[in-house]
Amino acid sequence: METQPLIVERTLNAPASKVWEALTDNEKMKQWYFKLESFEPRVGFEFSFAGQGSTGEKHTHLCRVTAVEPEKKLSYTWRYEGFPGDSEVSFELFPEDDKTLVRITHTGLETMPQNGPDFAVSSFSKGWNYILGESLKKFVEEQ
Amino acid sequence: MRRDVFQAIADPTRREIISLLASQQLNLNAVADKFDISRPAVSKHIRILAECGLITIKQQGRERFCQANFKKLKQVEDWAAQYRKFWNNKLDALENFLDEEKTTKLK
Repeated sequence: METQPLIVERTLNAPASKVWEALTDNEKMKQWYFKLESFEPRVGFEFSFAGQGSTGEKHTHLCRVTAVEPEKKLSYTWRYEGFPGDSEVSFELFPEDDKTLVRITHTGLETMPQNGPDFAVSSFSKGWNYILGESLKKFVEEQ
Repeated sequence: MRRDVFQAIADPTRREIISLLASQQLNLNAVADKFDISRPAVSKHIRILAECGLITIKQQGRERFCQANFKKLKQVEDWAAQYRKFWNNKLDALENFLDEEKTTKLK
């Protein structure tokens, strides 16, 4: 079943080459992203880090690079050690004059644990589109 | 049996019932009339939604009315919003980093 990804976009005041370096050069990544032991923008490269996740949890993040198109696209899988679920994060860069539109697409979030490891993923995935879909969003905002 | 908001919206009929009740309060029969499935089946979905706290059922005279409970729905939206917030925070950090990098170079 196809589910809707989470998409976050931002236009950054820097050329795509600089944004790409910030996304792929470990020394630069350390300054704004996560402190990784090593990072290589190469398909198949695996890395992990004990980071604070989106919900404040401190789990080991396990990632594997799945797509590398210099200055255009970087993707890696994103999951938590010891938990079900496998999601994927993509960073896409779109040059706009001397600025760059960055689009982060997080797919497979519906497979991630919501309430801990005993979460019944299968039942939730079908509700995912509903959550990200306009209907619920509008309907919640209108209240 | 697990009863929470995530389970409540995992079923398409239940999502439709919530959408239906979003704009109006309806009595049980009116809800059932909107669906092709049997009345007991609709009642069961309504019962699950009520157990999950997504709808409340109020007795008014001889009729029972269903009303959506939006506070609970907000929990689901909040869960999705946590990831949105996480990536927005990371973009803030990236933006600051790129700005600082530029400033350092100009010095």
